[in-house]
Amino acid sequence: MDSKIILFTCNWNAYSGLEAAGTERMSYSPMVYPIRLSCLGRITPGIILKAFEKGADGVYLLGCSESECHYQTGSHQVEEVYLESQNLLTLLGYGKNQLQLDFIPTGDGASFVEKVENFVNGIQDLQSDK
Amino acid sequence: MNSIMESIQSNRVWFCLDCGKCSSVCPITRHMVDGYSSPRLLVETAIGNGEDEILEDPLLWTCLTCKRCSEICPSVVHFSEFIQDVRELARGQNHSGECTHSGMIQTWSRMMVDPEMRQNRLGWVEEGLRVSTESDTLYFVGCLPYYDAAFEKLNIEGVSIANAALKILNHLGIEPVVLEDERCCGHDQFWQGDMDTFRGLAEVNLGNIMDTEAKRIITTCPECAWTLKHTYPDTIGDSGMEVLHLTELLAESDLSGIIPGNQDSSIQKVTYQDPCRLGRYSGVYEAPRDLIMGLGYEIREMDHNRKASLCCGTSCWSSCGQVNKKNQVERLREAKSTGADLLITACQKCQIHLKCAQSGPVLEGELQIDIRDLTTLIADHL
Ligand code: SF4
Ligand code: SF4
Repeated sequence: MDSKIILFTCNWNAYSGLEAAGTERMSYSPMVYPIRLSCLGRITPGIILKAFEKGADGVYLLGCSESECHYQTGSHQVEEVYLESQNLLTLLGYGKNQLQLDFIPTGDGASFVEKVENFVNGIQDLQSDK
Repeated sequence: MNSIMESIQSNRVWFCLDCGKCSSVCPITRHMVDGYSSPRLLVETAIGNGEDEILEDPLLWTCLTCKRCSEICPSVVHFSEFIQDVRELARGQNHSGECTHSGMIQTWSRMMVDPEMRQNRLGWVEEGLRVSTESDTLYFVGCLPYYDAAFEKLNIEGVSIANAALKILNHLGIEPVVLEDERCCGHDQFWQGDMDTFRGLAEVNLGNIMDTEAKRIITTCPECAWTLKHTYPDTIGDSGMEVLHLTELLAESDLSGIIPGNQDSSIQKVTYQDPCRLGRYSGVYEAPRDLIMGLGYEIREMDHNRKASLCCGTSCWSSCGQVNKKNQVERLREAKSTGADLLITACQKCQIHLKCAQSGPVLEGELQIDIRDLTTLIADHL
């Protein structure tokens, strides 16, 4: 079954991971649509809900760890947005694993692919359970 | 609504051309910074320059539909209704106001149009409180669970209002029906002219309401009350049920022996913010005041009260900016100057907007006054 998964990456650790995966010719699910932001701190619950409104089955937020955030407060901000969005999505009847937040080390293609694939599998399991 | 000319006629706005009386009280006109408009000027544009230009009028999307103008209008002009009509027409041409909060609230409302959607929204009901499936009373909760999640940082009363309402209703011997899949009532969509979303929401709600055995609907949100009572029957269908804001129900209930007076000696003097949909729209001014006095508080009225009450400053989760903030600051200053210890409202949106204004760092101390919803205050006395 096809899923539509929106992946928001920051411009730094997560995007460099995505690029590394590309240059190393690693593959990940074609159901993932990456959208690059300068920082995940830019994300808002409104943007996340919009993705679900438009038919996303899952939204994955991938950025930098708190100590590596290039804008100091971005990782902290997205954490708050993530929790608020989780609460709203739960009310709207979505499962907790349809929105996840994680980070990877900079330029780590293998870690990028592994995390993205795990997220995709989780969404696919959820859909086959339905 | 078919044309702007029809709306000009049915809402009598041609009277505005010779008037302008309300320009001095309109909360938007008074504080406008970028550009200028007023109800009279907007009508002049509509009549003189036609439909296209009115879409650029700064008042079109910022009007709060607060009915302050209608209260002093000598010519019974329905200005808010005119704005609603024009917005509906403008929507047809893909114009819309600016959504606040990244459109989050409009988005969740649109998502709720899907009749297949199954929410998970009843987690708020506290243990020990009773609801039923067979009652003749339905409690329409509104967006409280969602606001609770969205505005946690502002420390607002969200589902605590819903729990307080249940506690009060249970004390009156009522175990109301609450809908498992209630949708947003569509108030904001209607007033923003988004009729597709409004109709979608209203149809699902009306269907769910009609499936119960209820004969009357109680709300704690003045907007839900107005929408269910007037907008649904006017636009999509009448449930035939009586619709009351909780304060209206309590005003006609015998509360003696149920609600003892004020035991909290730290709060003596309070002031009350009339929400526009409860006051100017529904004409409910005294019921909440009687309840407050019944609890043993002394009411210190703000200069602008009842019909002349000032709006909480923002409407329909759109177009929030400098002008709105100025209104909120003005209102909070007025509340503080009464010397009251507590500002009471009967609408969670008033509370959200005023607490948001208080959270700004610059005027923080100056605007501080506790804000509570009347529902939770009453429940504290039970
Ligand atoms: S709405 Fe009434 S008071 Fe305001 S300008 Fe028009 S006629 Fe005058
Ligand atoms: S409804 Fe309120 S905001 Fe709109 S024009 Fe009248 S007074 Fe101004």
